[in-house]
Amino acid sequence: MKSGYYFWSGDIAAAEGAIAAGCRFYAGYPITPSSEIAERMALRLPQIGGKFIQMEDEIGSIAAIIGASWTGERAMTATSGPGISLMNENIGLAIMMEAPIVVVNAMRGDPSTGLPTLIGQGDLMQARYGSHGSYEIIVLYPNSIQETFDLMMDAFNMAEKYRVPVMYLIDALLAHMFERVYVPPEEEIERKIIRRKVPNKVPSRPFEPDDDLVPPMPLIGQGHKIHATGLTHDERGYPNLTPKAQEKLVRRLNEKIIKHEREIWKVEEYKTEDADKIIVSFGGESRAVRNAVNSARKNGKKVGMLRLITLWPFPHEFIKKYTADFYVAELNYGQMYHKVREYADGNNVKLIAKMGGEIHTPNEILKEIGGV
Amino acid sequence: MSDKKLKKKGNVKIDIERCKGCWYCVNYCPTKVLMVSDELNSKGYHPPKFIENPEENKVCIACHLCELYCPDFAIFVEELK
Amino acid sequence: MSLMEDLRYGVEDLLRTERLPHVWCPGCGIGITLNAFLRAVLRRKIDPNKLVVVSGIGCTGRAAGYVNVDSFHTTHGRAIPFAIGIKFARPELTVVVFSGDGDLFAIGGNHFVNAARRNHSILVIAVNNFTYGMTGGQHGPTTPTGAYTTTTPYGNPDRPFNIPHLAISLGAPYVARWTTYHVNQLQNSIYKALGMKGFRLIEVISQCPTVYGRRNSMRTPLSMMEYFEKNSIVKNDASFEEMELKYNEKIVVGEFRVAKDIPTYEERYDEVIRRAKNAD
Repeated sequence: MKSGYYFWSGDIAAAEGAIAAGCRFYAGYPITPSSEIAERMALRLPQIGGKFIQMEDEIGSIAAIIGASWTGERAMTATSGPGISLMNENIGLAIMMEAPIVVVNAMRGDPSTGLPTLIGQGDLMQARYGSHGSYEIIVLYPNSIQETFDLMMDAFNMAEKYRVPVMYLIDALLAHMFERVYVPPEEEIERKIIRRKVPNKVPSRPFEPDDDLVPPMPLIGQGHKIHATGLTHDERGYPNLTPKAQEKLVRRLNEKIIKHEREIWKVEEYKTEDADKIIVSFGGESRAVRNAVNSARKNGKKVGMLRLITLWPFPHEFIKKYTADFYVAELNYGQMYHKVREYADGNNVKLIAKMGGEIHTPNEILKEIGGV
Repeated sequence: MSDKKLKKKGNVKIDIERCKGCWYCVNYCPTKVLMVSDELNSKGYHPPKFIENPEENKVCIACHLCELYCPDFAIFVEELK
Repeated sequence: MSLMEDLRYGVEDLLRTERLPHVWCPGCGIGITLNAFLRAVLRRKIDPNKLVVVSGIGCTGRAAGYVNVDSFHTTHGRAIPFAIGIKFARPELTVVVFSGDGDLFAIGGNHFVNAARRNHSILVIAVNNFTYGMTGGQHGPTTPTGAYTTTTPYGNPDRPFNIPHLAISLGAPYVARWTTYHVNQLQNSIYKALGMKGFRLIEVISQCPTVYGRRNSMRTPLSMMEYFEKNSIVKNDASFEEMELKYNEKIVVGEFRVAKDIPTYEERYDEVIRRAKNAD
């Protein structure tokens, strides 16, 4: 895409951000409110020699992008909560095979079919814990159309760098809202791309990690005789169904993310330096929170917002560093609220919940934090 | 068995440790040069043994059928040069 | 060395021999099928570095773990879409799905029908042993009506898939069925399919003496093989009814469809790319 200003929805920005970040393979299944991502990819990928395929369901979609990832492609799928529910088994496969992929979840009202066209934030725990087993995953969540475009670069870079699926949350508000987006010049974008490590000898041991706990990733078709499995495996990739192999593998899969959590954490600290009340928020909801913070500040109240851009691994140090009353504004019946409580260290934590369909109004938030 | 003398063309080599004792090879060998061994491999299976008897026309004709039927990749037929 | 000796040693090179003996039970037909497949690959002179084998879950799903090429042991039922991702991204690769009947037609049935419909250029070798072996012999989508399994203790009330007919109805350009008794025909069939393009299906009727045969009066490997030997009929122009598999009755085998020059999904997408670039 030529450098310049565009008027895009979040769905279009997610697709264009992915293309800018080097994504050339997309497999997906239509679902509101993410469908326009697929439509944009169907239009744009073949123009640049990329591949778009509409699969028969979400399970097939994620399986296809894991396969494509092993050929070296930066591969993506997009869906909404119901689709993530179907994809979750293969999220686990991507974790176990250490296949970099990006999975977009445009969150809608929930549970079940819920509110297809309206915002929800009920999939935050699902994003972290949806697949079975003990694992770490990276979850990012922008709050503007510009950020939806820009943050895609981080999503792909983190997936490739740590060989892990990255869940990219947006929500129905962002997906369908249009804003101005600046696309930087191509050279500037290119410079930001981090490519995955590849082995320097053939055949390699596809699961033998470097010091950063991440193994270089061999690609299909180059003589590596890769074997990758969802079973517990040794460093050659062969099944090894013993407690010892399990301990070694599963510990590393978790620790390779925890070890790098400070590099992965992205938060926006908005007027928090002197705040005695901090509202934790993210995504579409944080736009109302920012407005509420600004109103409160006009009235001399020391209120700030801690906006989580990285939801998982949970940026706990940013909770621990403050002495303030915490409020967690989210469109669910309390999810990240529990995580904030875990690290609040004696500070008060209050949930400002709404079940979804719409974000809070700034006044509702102000009322919850004790009025202006 | 016909009166025509069969010409020996090969030898059957058996990787005893890969064998699981299904005995397809014993059953499908057209010249009956394989039979069930009394011995056991380390997993407790009776592998086949290769015993020819030219008097009874029991010689390996290198048809390789035993190789194709072996589910365990345990048989190699070496042809005579 | 003779051609046959070359093939035998070639098979060793295509196996991860350090992992043998494999997990399959005595007399299991999966090893016979894998052997036929590897020989066909050698005869086709396919560069092993450009061959990818994808399996799902189950006994046959373990096949990917024994082939010494890029190989993937995926989740239950998802071998086909995983393989599609590889083939679509790198059409120059030979991509083979080697998996079982429960994996491909029950949990993975939706992927099978849609992949065949779209005509992705992959070869699917479907080992049909009438049962879920790995989990202890439950009935599956191919268990014949009336058969005894651990979940059909009074005989199976289900009707099984007519797999070749299903594949033909979806337009798959190559459809064949053999049993593990037909070692030469099976190998030749795989050889032929490897030389074609599009969605190719070979159903291999295979024996599971351990958990299927024992409950259906075929207790030993040899008795199951004997059933295939005595009851198979080669009939390439078989009708729907003839292709149906009935409990302990005849098994019609053969090459049921051979259609060349049907455009594959990957070829049709090249046309999409051409149009998109021209429209740009």
